Amino acid sequence: MKALIKKEFSLCLHPTVFLFLTFAALVFVPNYPYEVIFFFSGLSVFFLSLAARENGDLEFTCSLPVKKRDVPLARIMVAFTFQCALLAFTAVCIVIKQSAFPEAMLVNLAGNSANLAFCGFGALVLGAFNLTFFPLHYREPKKVGVPFAISMAVQFVLIGLLILIRHFPFAAPLASPDPENSGVKFTVLFAGLTLYCVMTVLAAWLSMKKFEKVDL
Amino acid sequence: MFALEVEALKKVYPNFTLDGISFAVEAGQIAGLIGRNGAGKSTTLKSIMRLISSEGTVKVFGKDFSENEGAVKELIGYVGGGFRFYPNKTLSAIANAVAEFYPHWDKEAFTRYCDAYALVLTKKVRELSEGMKIKFSLALALSHGAKLLLLDEPTSGLDPLSREDFCDTLLSLKKQGVTVLFSTHITSDLMRVADQILYLSDGKLLADEPLETLTKRYRLKLFASLSEANAARAIGVKEVKDGFEGLITSSEGREATLDEIMIHLEWTRRQNESAH
Repeated sequence: MKALIKKEFSLCLHPTVFLFLTFAALVFVPNYPYEVIFFFSGLSVFFLSLAARENGDLEFTCSLPVKKRDVPLARIMVAFTFQCALLAFTAVCIVIKQSAFPEAMLVNLAGNSANLAFCGFGALVLGAFNLTFFPLHYREPKKVGVPFAISMAVQFVLIGLLILIRHFPFAAPLASPDPENSGVKFTVLFAGLTLYCVMTVLAAWLSMKKFEKVDL
Repeated sequence: MFALEVEALKKVYPNFTLDGISFAVEAGQIAGLIGRNGAGKSTTLKSIMRLISSEGTVKVFGKDFSENEGAVKELIGYVGGGFRFYPNKTLSAIANAVAEFYPHWDKEAFTRYCDAYALVLTKKVRELSEGMKIKFSLALALSHGAKLLLLDEPTSGLDPLSREDFCDTLLSLKKQGVTVLFSTHITSDLMRVADQILYLSDGKLLADEPLETLTKRYRLKLFASLSEANAARAIGVKEVKDGFEGLITSSEGREATLDEIMIHLEWTRRQNESAH
C-alpha cells in the first residue's frame, strides 16, 4: 500500500489537487456560499482520475505486484488525505477570520456562516462526493465524466439543502460566530465528520468490490 | 516443475470467447503464443495477469494466482505491448516509482539494460519511438528479478536488428533460468528462440507442443490439382500461383515454416466452420 500511495504522488497527482486546497481561503470572502470550496475538492479528484485514465494508470498499476482491489483503495486514501487537509485549512482560515474580522462580517448572508458547524457540513459534502463518484468510476474506470456529473449533482443538491436549513429558526444557532452555541456546533461537526468517514469507507469498499470485476 | 499452469481459462465477450484453454510452461522454457489478430493472445495474457476478470485457475511456480496475487506478480515481468503509460513523465520517474514495488529491484541491472538499449532516463515517454518504449518495458521487467516473463507482442514495433537483440536477450535469460511466454505473430522470432508453441485460433488452443515436434509433423506440398491434394489428404489446401498447396504428414514435400503451418491450420478451421 505504501508503494501504491507513493506512486499516486509521483506519477498521478494533478496540480489542481494542490491548487484547490488554497480555495479554503474563500471563507474570507464576505457573503459567499462557502460550501462550494468542497465542490472544488471534487473537481480536483475528477482531474486526477481523468489524468490517470489518459495515462493508462490503472492498467499499468494492476500489472505491478499489488492486489487489484488495493488499486482503488490507494487513490481513495490519497483523496481522503487531501480532503482532510482541505478541512484542516478551512478550519484554520475560519479561526483566522473569526479572530481578525469584525463580528458583523462573520455572518454570511449567502449561505452558512464559516464556523465550526460549517466544517461539519463540508465533511458531509465531501463524503457524499466520495460515495457517489468513486463507486461509479471504479465500476467502469473508462468513464470519469458521467460519475463526476452525477456526484456534482448530488453535491449541489446537498449544498442547496444545507443553505436552505439556515433559514429555519431551529438552525439559527449554527449561523452565529464561534464560540457561541459551541455545543450544538460541535455536535454538527462531529456528526459531519463521522458521516464523512462512514461514507468514505463505504465508497472504498464498493469501489474495491466493483473494480475486481473490471476488464482493463 | 511448471513455471506457469493455466487451467480452463475462459473469458466471454459478446463477439469472442476464450474457450476454457489449458496449458503449462515448464520452468526455464521459452513458449510462444501464436495466432492471428483477434485469436485471443492478449486476452490470454491479460487473463493470466487478472487484468481482466475471467474464469479458470492460474498457478505460477505452484502458487495460485488469485490467492497470492501480490506475491505471484512479484515473480512476473509483464510487458503489455508498447509502453503507452504516463507520456509526460521521465523514464527515471517511472522507474523510481516501479522500484518501490519490488523488494529485489536491481538498480545496477536496470542501468545496465538502459545502457544496452540506449535509453536516456531524462527523456519523457512521449519522446521515445515505439521500439524504444518496448525496450523500456523490457528493462523494467528484467530489473526486478522476474522468474517468469509474460510479453504481449514485444517485438511488433522493433526493427530487425532490435528484434535480433531481443531474441538474444531472451536466450541469455533462459540460461539464467527465466521462463518466458510471449505472444507474437512474427513467427521467425519464435523459430529462433521458442521451445514450445501454443497456437490459438478463435479462442481455442489448436496446438500445444514443442516447436520441433510441430515443425517436423507437417511438410508443405504443392499439388497440380485440388483432387490430387484431396487424394493425398492434405490439410488446409489452398490455391496458390502454381496450383494448390497443403500440409501433409508424410515425408514428401518440403519443410514447412511456422507461418505456413499456422496459415494452413487456420484455413482448415475456416473450411470446417463454413462446412458447418
